[in-house]
Amino acid sequence: MRIANSEMGTANSELTREQILKGLEPLGTNGDSKLLTHLNSCVHCGLCAESCLFYLATKDPRLTPARKVDLVASIYKRYHTFSGKYLPGLVGARNLDTATADEMVDLLFGSCTGCGRCTMHCSIGVDISYLVSVGRKMLSNMDLVPSTLQSTVKAAIDTGNNMAIPTADFVDTVKWMEEEMADEVGNPEASIPIDQPGKRILYTLNPREPKFYPLSISAMAKIFYMAGESWTLSTRMYDVTNYAFFSGNREEAGLIANRLWKEMEHLQCESLVLGECGHGTRAFRWESPNYLDRGVPFPVMSSVECIANYIREGKIRLDPEKITEKVTIHDPCNLVRNGGVIGAQRFILEQFVPDFIEMIPSGADNHCCGGGGGMLSMSEYNERRIGAGAIKAEQIRKTGAKIVVTPCHNCVDQLIQLNAAYKLDVKIQTMAEIVAEALII
Amino acid sequence: MTWYEWITLCSLGIFLGTSLFYALRLIRLGKPVDKAPASGSVAPAVRYSMSGAMNPAKKESAYLHLPTYGAGILYHLGTFLSLLLFFFIWMQLPFSRMPVLILSGFLVLSSSCGIGILIKRGWKNELRALSNPDDYISNILVTLFQVGTFLALSIPELLPFYFLETSILFLYFPLSKLKHVIYFFAARYHLGFFFGRRGVWPPGNG
Ligand code: SF4
Ligand code: SF4
Repeated sequence: MRIANSEMGTANSELTREQILKGLEPLGTNGDSKLLTHLNSCVHCGLCAESCLFYLATKDPRLTPARKVDLVASIYKRYHTFSGKYLPGLVGARNLDTATADEMVDLLFGSCTGCGRCTMHCSIGVDISYLVSVGRKMLSNMDLVPSTLQSTVKAAIDTGNNMAIPTADFVDTVKWMEEEMADEVGNPEASIPIDQPGKRILYTLNPREPKFYPLSISAMAKIFYMAGESWTLSTRMYDVTNYAFFSGNREEAGLIANRLWKEMEHLQCESLVLGECGHGTRAFRWESPNYLDRGVPFPVMSSVECIANYIREGKIRLDPEKITEKVTIHDPCNLVRNGGVIGAQRFILEQFVPDFIEMIPSGADNHCCGGGGGMLSMSEYNERRIGAGAIKAEQIRKTGAKIVVTPCHNCVDQLIQLNAAYKLDVKIQTMAEIVAEALII
Repeated sequence: MTWYEWITLCSLGIFLGTSLFYALRLIRLGKPVDKAPASGSVAPAVRYSMSGAMNPAKKESAYLHLPTYGAGILYHLGTFLSLLLFFFIWMQLPFSRMPVLILSGFLVLSSSCGIGILIKRGWKNELRALSNPDDYISNILVTLFQVGTFLALSIPELLPFYFLETSILFLYFPLSKLKHVIYFFAARYHLGFFFGRRGVWPPGNG
């Protein structure tokens, strides 16, 4: 592709020619019918606005999904279509310049969690969140990922976990949780295995667990113990998250995912069970085979599916009288709408929660909590994130539930903050936590 | 053939040629590659994507905007009807009075919907901010095509204008968002592929 300087808009731009060329690379549609299709499909009907939490919460016309699509598509048109090249004003084609890049950062990183709800409701069927991810990749190619998000990715690459927890601290926390768990199950021999080869399951965690919520480690350990599972954690690679999936850097995402593959090989476990993390599950289960260009040689499942299997197989039993309060569930977008795990969490709760209520809408149509897409790590957007969470807060309030269960630690973090900001007076729990509470020991 | 028919023939060739090019390019690129093991099936999900998922009760873009959605449907039906009638008019197939009245009545309705959608685009802040000249021009040309069709059915003297307006529409097609007529089906296919493999569509799988 030859691009004249004038087309690149470099005259008034601080972006270098090299940056622009790299930024344009992801828009090359040769060989990609999905990209070509979605870049050419939006008709600017604007009917997707009300499907997006950012627009709903602010009524800011800049934050509609259509504007996010248009931003990426307008650059594509400028460099790849006849009308965009020769009649840019006619079709709203835009140069990739500093102003455009700034707007992209604000809209694609700061005003979109990539939840994909708008995609399902688009009048045409434009995969809006996919185009947002293409736009993020363009920004990543230009080194324009917000530094807050990039530092989370860097921590994961440099230290093996996104919170840079030293291994000794991690082991201490696990040992402490082991004692808790042994107490609860009444067996001093009960353990949380670490780095044990040849186990059936390698289990991964969100680093928020050892850092802030260690009880969720003991909760899942208790479930494994009661199910008689053969499992282990790894000190070398226990981080289920993959923030490079959010930053749009495919190489870094592949590098992080590859560590988990290697650890599976190293420990020679049979199956990988991904801890409660929506994007981490999506990044490994659905995206990593494409990052790494190879099929997965071992079974992979989310911990929610694993718990549901234990119940189906009669390996664990749950006390239906233990949880007396009204419970609702928040569906993490990457696990549910974009990952297909929809029924397992409901099946689990049906077994022991007598007073369950769905949010409206729920399941694959659920509203995002506002904490996805790397938003939690981008502190510069905190106010917007909490503002967009108003939609979720209202959903929760309308259920009248006292407990909100969500199988994702990122969602837990956001919901805890929404709980405080919107005075919801609810308890937020992961699936492992509520199940562990009701386990019949 | 008259001079204006020759012009229309050439523009029709460009319209059909570019449509074919866009469609064949998509077909040549083939299916997306997904190395992740599937949880569900693509075929039923693609069927659902083209049918159930388009149900107005399932899409906020439809049920939260029923007047616009309804107008959009009528407008598109009017366009397809006008395209069909274009060939009838060109071949000078005779119409009796009653069908002409019914077809004209429908086209009056559908073109009014087009005008309504155009007014909304200019009126609403969000839509105006999103729109570029092509959004207006595409609407105006298609609406005029429908208006021209019902006028041409009753007033043969207007045929030269009708053919010229139709020619402009055909020539404008490859430059504009009107191409979505082809990409629409591909977009529905890709959604079905994505949500089908992940076991999200058809609903009830996960
Ligand atoms: S609903 Fe779809 S086609 Fe309409 S503006 Fe939104 S993204 Fe574009
Ligand atoms: S993906 Fe989610 S957050 Fe992003 S534009 Fe669509 S609805 Fe809004």
